[in-house]
Amino acid sequence: MAPGYIPDRERERAEDRKAHNDAWAASGLLMSGVIVWGGVGYLVSQWLDNQLFVMLGLLLGTVTALYGIWFRYGRS
Amino acid sequence: MSTLLAATAARVANGDGFVSPGPNDFDLPGIFSAGSWFTKPILIVIVMTIVVGVFYVLASREAKVVPGRLQFAGESLYGFIRNDVALDAIGHEGLRFAPYLATLFSFIAVNNLAGIIPFIQFPATSHIAFPLVLAIISWLIFLYLGIKKNGFVKYFKDMMFPPGIPIPVYFLLAPIEFFSTVIVRPVTLMLRLTFNMFAGHLVLLLFVLGGDYLLRDYGGVVGIASGSVSLVGSLVLTGFEGFVQLLQAYVFTLLTALYIGGALADEH
Repeated sequence: MAPGYIPDRERERAEDRKAHNDAWAASGLLMSGVIVWGGVGYLVSQWLDNQLFVMLGLLLGTVTALYGIWFRYGRS
Repeated sequence: MSTLLAATAARVANGDGFVSPGPNDFDLPGIFSAGSWFTKPILIVIVMTIVVGVFYVLASREAKVVPGRLQFAGESLYGFIRNDVALDAIGHEGLRFAPYLATLFSFIAVNNLAGIIPFIQFPATSHIAFPLVLAIISWLIFLYLGIKKNGFVKYFKDMMFPPGIPIPVYFLLAPIEFFSTVIVRPVTLMLRLTFNMFAGHLVLLLFVLGGDYLLRDYGGVVGIASGSVSLVGSLVLTGFEGFVQLLQAYVFTLLTALYIGGALADEH
């Protein structure tokens, strides 16, 4: 065990770590949702020449990402 | 800065008025010949790399039980990264990453701080190439560790398909999970550092050049009053920039550590 490292604090550190990690991961997931499905929506809208698909894609991505965040980090 | 002030003066003499600083001010000419690859940011990075290396060598050489001033500085810095970043963010396995994280933090910090060190006054990390390489290194490290620990298939399966989600949702969620881990992580690391430094430098340029213009060329009560405020503001903002520069070095290091910790975590 490394000097300066207190095993008693391991649980506390692990909880801190998880909370910290989750905050960054959640925002990354939200951003990805908008980019991935918004991007797909944009491609479909170019293909079918209908702007509606961009909005559908953005909404789909946001909702899916929110669901993913809730599923991963929201249920305790 | 003096060249920029001269350039502003020349524009004013032409009757062009004030031209605000922009991305062009980051395209510095070569030091020895125009268009050469050897520019100011390159020189800063080379010098700062030597500074960091020499600092740690001197601080750790002839280490004593009662540390001297330099040894104390080196140990405080290393101890901070080791205990508060490596061990906190990664866990007990973090110890073996402490040297890399401490080097990473020191390197980014000094190259950021070059933006406010007098007579250097250019943050080398505002050129995207440097954060790009650092982000690629962090990316390779956490992907390598994750794949090594879990195996290629299991690593990506755990990343993209957390158990317990209704199967139709996987179709929507898996691409997002993949994208957020493999693409968004390195890209945000890179962009966050680059553009914090870029924007900070631009704001300082605007306050100093704008203050100079108002004070000397615009003139009158309005020019002198607002120019003074602008120049005093540039001093305050320089202090604030120092804070942001250290903070961004810390954030980059902490996120790298968190990604390593995530790759090594047992919960998957």
